[in-house]
Amino acid sequence: MTALILDIITTAAILFAVAAGLLIILGVLKIVNFAHGGFLTIGGYSGLVVTQLGWNPWLAYPAAAIAGVVLGAVVERFIIRPLYDRPLDAILATWGLGIIIGQLITIIFGREIQFVQTPIAGAASVLGETYSLYRLFLILAAALVAGGIAALFNATRLGLEARAVIMNEPLARGLGINSGHVRFVTFCIGAGLASLAGALITPLSSVDPNMGVPWLVNAFMLVLVSSVSLVSLATAALTLGGAQVLVSTYISPVIGGLTIVVLAALLLRVRPAGFGNG
Amino acid sequence: MADLTTTPVTLPRRPASGRLRFAGSLAALCIIAAIAGPYVLDSYTVNIMVRSFLYAATALTVDILWGYTGILTFGQAAFFGIGAYAAGITFTYMDFSPQTAVLALLAGIAASAVVAGITGWISFFYGASPLYVAIVTLALPIIFVQVLYSGGTFTGSSSGLVSYNTFDLSVEAWFTICGIGLVVLTTAAWFFVNSDFGRALVAIRENEQRCTYLGVNAPRIKILLMVVMAMIASVAGYAYAGYTVVVAPEIGSFVFGTELVMWVALGGRGTLIGPVVGTIAIDVTSAYLSGNLPYVWKLIVGSIFVLVIVALPQGIAPVIRSGLRRLWSAVSGRDTTPGLAVPALVEAVEGHRAGPSSDAPALDITDLARSYGSLKVLEGVTFKALGSELLGIIGPNGAGKTTLMRCLSDGFERTGGTVAVFGRAIARTPPQAVVGFGIGRSFQTTSLFETLTVAECLRLARHRLDGANMFGHAPTLALPESARHVITATGLDRELSIECRHLSHGMKRALELAMVLALEPSVLLLDEPTAGLTKRERTLIGSILVDLVRHAGLCTLIIEHDLDFVREISTRIIVLHQGKVLLDGSVAEVVGSELVRTIYAGGSHGQARP
Amino acid sequence: MSETVLDISDVSSGYGEAMVLRNVSLGIRPGEIFALLGKNGMGKSTLLKTILGFVPARQGSIRLFGEDITAQPTHLIARKAIAYTPQEQTLFQDLTVEENLRLGLPDNSGFTEGLARVSDYFPIIGKRLKQKAGTLSGGEQKMLIVSRALLRSPRLMLIDEISEGLQPSMIQRLSEILLAERKRAGTAIFVVEQNVPFAFSMADRYAVLKIGEIADDGVAGDESAAARVQEQLQL
Repeated sequence: MTALILDIITTAAILFAVAAGLLIILGVLKIVNFAHGGFLTIGGYSGLVVTQLGWNPWLAYPAAAIAGVVLGAVVERFIIRPLYDRPLDAILATWGLGIIIGQLITIIFGREIQFVQTPIAGAASVLGETYSLYRLFLILAAALVAGGIAALFNATRLGLEARAVIMNEPLARGLGINSGHVRFVTFCIGAGLASLAGALITPLSSVDPNMGVPWLVNAFMLVLVSSVSLVSLATAALTLGGAQVLVSTYISPVIGGLTIVVLAALLLRVRPAGFGNG
Repeated sequence: MADLTTTPVTLPRRPASGRLRFAGSLAALCIIAAIAGPYVLDSYTVNIMVRSFLYAATALTVDILWGYTGILTFGQAAFFGIGAYAAGITFTYMDFSPQTAVLALLAGIAASAVVAGITGWISFFYGASPLYVAIVTLALPIIFVQVLYSGGTFTGSSSGLVSYNTFDLSVEAWFTICGIGLVVLTTAAWFFVNSDFGRALVAIRENEQRCTYLGVNAPRIKILLMVVMAMIASVAGYAYAGYTVVVAPEIGSFVFGTELVMWVALGGRGTLIGPVVGTIAIDVTSAYLSGNLPYVWKLIVGSIFVLVIVALPQGIAPVIRSGLRRLWSAVSGRDTTPGLAVPALVEAVEGHRAGPSSDAPALDITDLARSYGSLKVLEGVTFKALGSELLGIIGPNGAGKTTLMRCLSDGFERTGGTVAVFGRAIARTPPQAVVGFGIGRSFQTTSLFETLTVAECLRLARHRLDGANMFGHAPTLALPESARHVITATGLDRELSIECRHLSHGMKRALELAMVLALEPSVLLLDEPTAGLTKRERTLIGSILVDLVRHAGLCTLIIEHDLDFVREISTRIIVLHQGKVLLDGSVAEVVGSELVRTIYAGGSHGQARP
Repeated sequence: MSETVLDISDVSSGYGEAMVLRNVSLGIRPGEIFALLGKNGMGKSTLLKTILGFVPARQGSIRLFGEDITAQPTHLIARKAIAYTPQEQTLFQDLTVEENLRLGLPDNSGFTEGLARVSDYFPIIGKRLKQKAGTLSGGEQKMLIVSRALLRSPRLMLIDEISEGLQPSMIQRLSEILLAERKRAGTAIFVVEQNVPFAFSMADRYAVLKIGEIADDGVAGDESAAARVQEQLQL
């Protein structure tokens, strides 16, 4: 029972960390970044590079974040910005970008599954159960990510401007806010977060060029079901992630993989605003 | 100004037969190529191209759904997969025979139709966002593949089913059959998208909301289209299974689903030929190059795809087409911009008008309310309107005038109160159903269809009453006298083949009015019909409206800011203020009212908004 | 002319194909209060939106403090010494009063002393800093938008129909505050209104907009001018 509860919490934490970057991009830029899976993969491979270079595994996280931010800047400038008023095309273009990233990684690293060194090995004893220490660490990591985003949005000038742009872009521009700049910075942060999440999840299993794809779909569904708020994303991650764990445990892991997708689609049909207010 | 008894206008029509002949000869050429192909091409290419033809047929369905109708779908792969697995499973467990062959085909088609019907019903509801259908159709192949995995050995799980008995045909025979099948499908599709009905699909893509207010049942059309396209994709999948003797989850996966969208985008969405040719070209090239440089090839395709989306969203086909056109006119010295066939306007037999024989008032509104949370935009609005009344609705900004119109034309909009048209109450029904009650509404901002011609817009307005030809163009267009009057009086009858985006603002508003009148409404709701018009245009529209009310007996509600205009043409005025009816009376009463004077000219004693 | 704070020259603009403003010309001098009057739908708001770049001018030119701003993007124009109070969509409903005010300044500097000044004018603003803007009453929301505009001590204020729906006492107070700001900082104020007495209580000069064109203008001096304009705005 304890293991089940821990599974639910850690799964929710992982989903939250993975979806956070997608959420802030959707909120501020109003587009869905379908290259999110690609950025996750980049994060994972940053971890691989750190392992192959023999560096301290903890360096994988900042390395991934930096790689994500830099690539995000290039992508925003050349792909996202021209598609400002064509949101459905932005989905397609970012999906194409995801393919490009996947192929480049395959060419550079090969398509085999490879492994990354984990910074925290072993298990801990929690309420009588032995549980993976790294998974427990991920709860902390997700909390830090949430805290970081909240601090950024609520305590900085940039965050204030970003919230203004989320709520009413024309009014924000009318007050002198350079919404183009806000969008740029937000995208870079969102890409960096995605990449960081990729580095966070690889020690759980492995890296391969297509590792991002299954995460993309689940993150996508979660973000649509939340309105633009960290709290509703956390709620969605907990409820839908919890449902996934329960279905995987008691029915079958294969069907479990579908839980989030199916539940989210049905939920959106009933309540198009998802878990948001109102 | 032309008088009301203008005879129907006939315009010289450019024969559509020129286009028909061109299409026919092209199709014939392709059929010959399909027959001769195996003798000219090497066996490897022939082998690949059979598969490419089937992919192209599926891409065609994506183009009709997405390129023409605006439904972004990643799900056609799932239907391809259903058709393929229907064959694979049947032939593996029931062996191959003419009976099982037919059974498998029908089973695949039926399953696809059911799944597509459910998908459409889920996705195309009142107020759905276009993103939602993309999500649901993305989920379809994912679910399909997971179901296959969980089917264990029955479905072959991740390796699929192989080596079942199948049709005893040579590769060359398959090539010819699939090739001819593709040509026939493409030709039929070409006639379909260029028909009157096909133009309605484009209208749905460009402005679905406006379509529903014209009485076009867009959700139902989209669901039916999805079902038919799913059935076609299923047949393609069936042929694929019969040919390759392998069915594996990849053919129904979401990677394949997104590839289909990519091919359509690259080939040229909404061009039909572009996606078909593009799919074949890319698939054949992939087959050759991916042996040597698999990842680099995919990288190249991915990069071109992104480039096309960003810089050339219409795809490659339109670029080639305009290039060819210019080449042709340079060579032949003739201008080849295709003339558009224009229908002859005829008199509509007006029997459709709802209920003027009834004793009930044209409009009976009781306690109408609309709130957003705690914000009350309309409250306690109650009044009746009779036929032959021209009701002017005035009031300051934010008084709720447009919201009132929305509540009268959309059964889902109001939060309280009742609306009855000639005694029939409007329940929670979408705009296309409300049109059936007799309500015709025009919009404050011109809400037309960019690439449709004037004639096509008018035909769209007649869709509910006259239907639409699915494989060609009807030679005549029936319009009621009121609509024809507007068209001839404003000169639109000389611009029937002009696309809406090229019309002047005044002409657009005239067309908007004509379209609403073409619905043969019993109650006309006009939202600022003269906004942005010059004085001359205003006078023209005004006199047309007055004529209409007097002669056609329409009950008309008109929102206007130009108070002189309202005063001239109205028989009665209702003043809205902060969501409530402030005054309801004759023109003289309202104009002379002290209360209204105060509201309008300042020194308002109204309370601050709560 | 470097004499004018705002110089609108032969401007036409509109939405889509519709031309809402036709050949409008007017100039506002430093420290002047100018009233633009007209009935609904005549183009008054559109003129303010054209100045700020929300609606592109199809023809003509607009100069602000001597600089040609006709084709500049909105957020750049909004950063000059200009403040705009729109008629609709005026506040971020879910942000606090303080956050809405802070967005009136380009960054956090100067906020404290600006806040002190507007709290003098509207004491209630100073007391409700942590409240969400959407929970304020209509009148209080208007006070907030005016405060936000005054915060940056602009050289030019554009005010769109601020008096609508306000109590007469509040309207009187607004008039006093705007006159006081003009006296203190030499702010020029471009007031767009339908409320003739309010406009004339402050204005030096006026113009009347009718179906997108200037139909009348002059000095807002006497009773007869006010009465004449009132007449033009009548039903």
